[in-house]
Amino acid sequence: MPLLFPLVVSALLFAIGVYGVLARRNAILVLMGVELMLNAVNLNLLAFDAWHRDTLHSGQILALFTITIAAAEIGLGLAIVLLLFRTRRQINLDAVRELADREDTDREDAEVRR
Amino acid sequence: MNLYVPILVLLLLGGGFAVVSAVAGSLMGPKRWNRAKVDSYECGIEPTPQPAGGGRFPVKYYITAMLFIIFDIEIIFLFPWAVAFDQMALFGLVEMVLFIVTVFVAYAYVWRRGGLEWD
Amino acid sequence: MTSILLAQEFKSPTIEYAKVAPLLIVFGVAIVSVIAEAFLPRRFRYPTQVVLSLGSLAAALVVTVGLAGSKLLAAEGAIAIDGFTLFLWGTILVMSIISVLLLAERAVDGGVTAFAAQAAALPGTEAEREAQARRLEQTEVFPLFLFAVGGMLLFPAANDLLTMFVALEVLSLPLYLLCGLARRRRLLSQEAAMKYFLLGAFASAFFLYGMAMLYGFAGTISFSGIAAAIGAKTGVDGLLLAGTALVAVGLLFKIGAAPFHMWTPDVYQGAPTAITAFMAACTKIAAFGALLRLFYVALGAARWDWQPMIWVVAILTLGVGSVLALTQSDIKRMLAYSSIAHAGFLLIGFVGVRDHISANTSAILFYLAAYGFATIGAFAVVTLVRDASGEATHLSRWVGLGKRSPIVASVMALFLLAFAGIPLTSGFMGKWAVFSAAWQGGAWPLVVIGVVASVVAAFFYVRVIVLMFFSEPAAEGPTVAVPSVFTSVAVAVGVAATVVLGLMPEPLLQLAARAAQLVG
Repeated sequence: MPLLFPLVVSALLFAIGVYGVLARRNAILVLMGVELMLNAVNLNLLAFDAWHRDTLHSGQILALFTITIAAAEIGLGLAIVLLLFRTRRQINLDAVRELADREDTDREDAEVRR
Repeated sequence: MNLYVPILVLLLLGGGFAVVSAVAGSLMGPKRWNRAKVDSYECGIEPTPQPAGGGRFPVKYYITAMLFIIFDIEIIFLFPWAVAFDQMALFGLVEMVLFIVTVFVAYAYVWRRGGLEWD
Repeated sequence: MTSILLAQEFKSPTIEYAKVAPLLIVFGVAIVSVIAEAFLPRRFRYPTQVVLSLGSLAAALVVTVGLAGSKLLAAEGAIAIDGFTLFLWGTILVMSIISVLLLAERAVDGGVTAFAAQAAALPGTEAEREAQARRLEQTEVFPLFLFAVGGMLLFPAANDLLTMFVALEVLSLPLYLLCGLARRRRLLSQEAAMKYFLLGAFASAFFLYGMAMLYGFAGTISFSGIAAAIGAKTGVDGLLLAGTALVAVGLLFKIGAAPFHMWTPDVYQGAPTAITAFMAACTKIAAFGALLRLFYVALGAARWDWQPMIWVVAILTLGVGSVLALTQSDIKRMLAYSSIAHAGFLLIGFVGVRDHISANTSAILFYLAAYGFATIGAFAVVTLVRDASGEATHLSRWVGLGKRSPIVASVMALFLLAFAGIPLTSGFMGKWAVFSAAWQGGAWPLVVIGVVASVVAAFFYVRVIVLMFFSEPAAEGPTVAVPSVFTSVAVAVGVAATVVLGLMPEPLLQLAARAAQLVG
């Protein structure tokens, strides 16, 4: 199998992940986008590992580490999203914007609301 | 092609076993329905009441699921050791014991903080 | 087939435990402190954690100093122990010790730390009020902090892509959580944590993709192997270019360089101020160390490919940092933009390479140390200016602070002058070192832009000083809390370092010059 196939598939997956992060406003879906990006990279790593016939199997080892780290990351991310949900009853990222560059009057409004 | 024959055989065996046992069970088994049997199945525990309209899962599921995933995934690091433990000899053993002890520290923390209690 | 290969070639790796002892100490004690957190009764936790954190960091510092002169690749080439690593370890450990003092401060907020009483209790609920009434404290902050420090130590020492990625995540993940644990203004704090997490995870995915590209290009993950592959290549290689660009995105994000700086002001403002101080100093030091090692050691031969990109990033960063800082009305946001501008100055030192990288490396090392001390000190001062709702960070609240509390205002003014790069402060020596290295490297247009940016930047630092000293204080202004010995020591160290490095920079400059050799 030519190297190009897995590379193109993983590039497409990565692009879908990027799209998910940029276009989705639901925090959980954004997290899923990030996961998709990481898994696209795993595919890439394995393809390169096979292509180079790497006797140290660096690509496979790297993929193992990526899987674990992605799990840890998602656990932590869900914890943060959950905390956000419990305080605000929603996880729409566009609604979470009290920290931003803005005019003073806006900020005072925000502080009053809080 | 020959390489794939064992996989195909295994697939057929596995699928066949599932189909045969499901069909045989429904044909031959006694049928005594009660309320618990038609209820949704949740790993052997009392099913959680679902609010109307789909609703949300209680947060308890989330915590348990996350703990499971994290501990489950860590075991990935045992895999290379399992493949080559005989050559890694004492070094591999010591490293793995250290690794598992570290994971157990996290486990102990979760346990002491009540992360494992369902209610 | 592969298993047969394995059987033939396996040999136990050697790990130079004595040489990586600082890492082992910090990580080991971090684990011990998780155990302490799990099994000690609540009232013993705070003192135990403080002692464990301070003790481990001090021990690691002593060991690091003892390692001086080492130059080797430890752990089968995964970790480079050289002058560069040891200098950065020393700097990070000293700054971490100061940060622990800030974390442990209890006097300014009525006898409790600045962290959430109970992170799981929702803001504004009965559970939270009860937790506060019982004077609970979330002492998990300390183990998380130690893990982050461990990751920061590993990050600039990493000598292959795998170690670097693991270090990046080990330093980032605890920081995401720490950002969300403020006692006051918890909604802002949680928002900061979420923004930092999502953007950080996004950036590290790019970093990882870049790593995969570099691995595909070189067929190995070790930096020396990548350097050898670059030396052997002919013509343009798409994988190398794409990989370089993508890993740069990940690292520049951590540094807070434009256009990857968006998270910085929001996170710096929302995070607990002690954590902001720690992040602003130590994350930047660690990430710059990693950037230098990766780009000089592994990608050094491809310099002509990445240098134009860094030029653009440096100019953008300087512009964004200096101009947007002018419009800020919150002291923490202003300091955040100032830290972006400083990343720009550091990048100027990073690109001005012609034939020898040691001048650049030593200039950056000195700048990082000078900047780190002043930053932690400045944020420490911010924790002291308070009103009923916590820290008074809005600049309008700082009006006339010089009349109310001349000492605190003068200390802050000193740090601001150092940031502005006024002579006789550490900031001036840092800028001087970086600019002259870049000038010698032939990057004179960047130096000119850097000088212009520092003039613009000086304006907003001076604006704060004018605000503090030459305006009448408001009637119901904030009060200046009297800190315990912890914060006092932290501020005092910052002041001392800023003054000493400004007046007598020679010893540290020489140390940095000697430390500027990278192995590999």
